[in-house]
Amino acid sequence: MVGLILIFIAASITNNFVLTYFLGICPFIGVSNKVESAIGLGVATTFVMTMAATVTWLIYHYILVPFNLVFLQYVTFIIVIASFVQFVEMFIRKVSPPLYKALGIFLPLITTNCAILGLTLFMILRNYSFLESVIFGLGAGVGFTIALVVMAGIREELVFSDVPEPLKGAGITLIIAGMLALAFMGFGGIISG
Amino acid sequence: MIKDFVKGLWRENPVFVQVLGMCPTLAVTTKCVFGLSMGLATTFVIVSSVVVISTIRKLVPEQVRIPMFTVIIATFVTAADYFLKANFFEISKALGPYIPLIVVNCVILGRAEAFASKHGVARSFLDAFGMGIGFTCALVVLGAVREVLGAGTVFGYPVMWEGFTNWIVMVMPAGAFITLGLLVGVFNIVDKRVKSK
Amino acid sequence: MPGDNIKKIFENTIVKVIVALAIVGAVSGATLVFVYNYAMPKILVNIARETEKGIKNIFPEAAEINDSEIKGLYDIADDTGKIVGYAFLAEGNGYQGTIKLISGIDANATQLKGMEVLESQETPGLGAEITTKKFKSQFINLSITHPIEYLKNRKPEKDYQIEAITGATISSRAVVNILNKRVEEIRKELKK
Repeated sequence: MVGLILIFIAASITNNFVLTYFLGICPFIGVSNKVESAIGLGVATTFVMTMAATVTWLIYHYILVPFNLVFLQYVTFIIVIASFVQFVEMFIRKVSPPLYKALGIFLPLITTNCAILGLTLFMILRNYSFLESVIFGLGAGVGFTIALVVMAGIREELVFSDVPEPLKGAGITLIIAGMLALAFMGFGGIISG
Repeated sequence: MIKDFVKGLWRENPVFVQVLGMCPTLAVTTKCVFGLSMGLATTFVIVSSVVVISTIRKLVPEQVRIPMFTVIIATFVTAADYFLKANFFEISKALGPYIPLIVVNCVILGRAEAFASKHGVARSFLDAFGMGIGFTCALVVLGAVREVLGAGTVFGYPVMWEGFTNWIVMVMPAGAFITLGLLVGVFNIVDKRVKSK
Repeated sequence: MPGDNIKKIFENTIVKVIVALAIVGAVSGATLVFVYNYAMPKILVNIARETEKGIKNIFPEAAEINDSEIKGLYDIADDTGKIVGYAFLAEGNGYQGTIKLISGIDANATQLKGMEVLESQETPGLGAEITTKKFKSQFINLSITHPIEYLKNRKPEKDYQIEAITGATISSRAVVNILNKRVEEIRKELKK
């Protein structure tokens, strides 16, 4: 139980996916302009991450390994993730049109979010058990959401500040991300191997 | 035709202008040599995928375009990964999971979707090759800055004076973000100067 | 005309989609089988060579390296054929990712003979110092009858202590924990 909690905290805070592994930077820089949309995207991504971790774990350990097909790992994983995003999109559209409308444009973006493929690869590399993988997926999603929301909050304020011309846009966003990474480093050491 | 190649180097540089493919850019550039290897691996994947995609572009049904492109890219990435593991074991270990992550490098899918699915093989090849080289250059530059300040070396050769204190922060994630942010700024300034002349 | 029927079927989008995906999938699979067959033997050679190099660093006198009867252990023999110790792989989580080590113990399982880092993603300049000679040499002839301990900014006093790297306590601690866990398992196995 303690192990599971540690994995969750490590994935969400101390080894935050966005700020220490550089995963999921594209939406982090592109989308995080408003807190509201950041939360929406974060929740959708968390859901896909948890499900992707679950499904790819089962496929890897019950299909790829027994049949000696490990070299198909990347191809299989990306197909699973892409179809999952598609499925989630259709599901949300059917069940809750308002939610679909709110998330709409962000959903297809999730496939090319490297945090999800990265998550599944890390999970295999670290030999996580099934339960650990699910928690790892959930934690990584929460961590992604935290980073995204914090960033969006700062950028909302940034509108009122005087940023040097050449740094406007991507430049200042990256520098802020660097400072956030520094801040998150302060959490390092809470959890050890 | 030559324009297709050149634009990836500067005007549409995938890293400095389009700000795409960030995760390998930031993650592996602690050292020049890693940046170079990652850049070359990505160039290989982008060129071969784009050649295949532009060859079969008319046979691909509209609805499954993206999944098919992704599968093609993932295939080449797996090939590159095994090739590196077989012949450049040390480098492949250092780059670790960031090699498979080339699959979701948005630069590649971006070129496949925006250029290769609409143009012939020759032009797509030049476009992809230019993007690949532009990407590689950006990674080497970023790697050089971080390696010089963070470890006092370039490609492993010491270049700083004796007694130079390494800026450890440069090789940490925070340093990656800040360096790239400032480089983007420098790029914009230079670009403006060039344009106004 | 039967020909027209076939044509109609192929004009059907769903069929087209499935056929296209199946072809791409098959070609991709076939290519990867080919790549796999080319690369896998070389990769195995690389891994074996790396393990051997690590063992030779830890046991300079090693003449023969054989798989032990105990799973995961290598018997190390000198040129007279006498067993001088056992080598083993160990891994666990470091500060950034997995740390993979190779290490060895003497034939009586009372001392560590050394430690080499095979894989790590620790922070360059800090945690990555675990791969330096200064840190690694502390593990040569380290007593393992007592769990290994690390000290911060202090020179070791007892024969089972090492000094942690300044600024990288977590990575140092990770190495110690990984070794302690694995050594305990092995000592239990060897006692049987």
